[in-house]
Amino acid sequence: MIYSDIALDAVLIAVIFDLFILRSQMVTRGLFWLSYGLILPFQLLTNWWLTSKLIVMYTPASIIGRRLAGAPIEDLLFGFSMILLTLSLWDYFSNRAQS
Amino acid sequence: MGEDWPMNHLHYIGVLLFIGLCGVGVNVFFKTGLARRWRIFLITDLLILALYTAWDSWAIYKRNWYFDPAQILGAKVLFSIPIEEILFFIVVPFTTVATYLALKKLTGWERDRK
Repeated sequence: MIYSDIALDAVLIAVIFDLFILRSQMVTRGLFWLSYGLILPFQLLTNWWLTSKLIVMYTPASIIGRRLAGAPIEDLLFGFSMILLTLSLWDYFSNRAQS
Repeated sequence: MGEDWPMNHLHYIGVLLFIGLCGVGVNVFFKTGLARRWRIFLITDLLILALYTAWDSWAIYKRNWYFDPAQILGAKVLFSIPIEEILFFIVVPFTTVATYLALKKLTGWERDRK
């Protein structure tokens, strides 16, 4: 279940960057959660496309086996980490460029 | 595995085209100013690319996940990552930032932040 482990770590790293290193505080802001809420259905849609057509496949031993919209549940963690880190970095560099 | 028809090779890249066009549409329609701030996006995405291609290449090497050769273009970038995966780490952050900026404008929240 190596994908599960790394996906969890990725979320943890993204949150640590957001709260303590870049200090963008995304996870405390409504705008972030609204953005995530809008992007999530699209992630599920593309996950469904990529997995139901067997474009991307997973080795059973690397995942816990629970699936959502065709994709391993771990994909939610991966997606969340990337969206959080992207917006966190964007916010950080935007503020730096501003000052 | 899909049968090896030429059109099938567009199955993954087609998804990226859809996501990318959503992002472009959002940017144009809501005048997000993302294009004007391309340097900020560039540095943001370079870091995302570095982190997630490292993870991806390792996972492909360990065969945590793998791709149907009949449904991708077949071009491989460094560490045998399909070109679609690299583009994914560019297109998805782009549309993510576009969505964020559009919602920021639409809701009027956090006017004090860029």
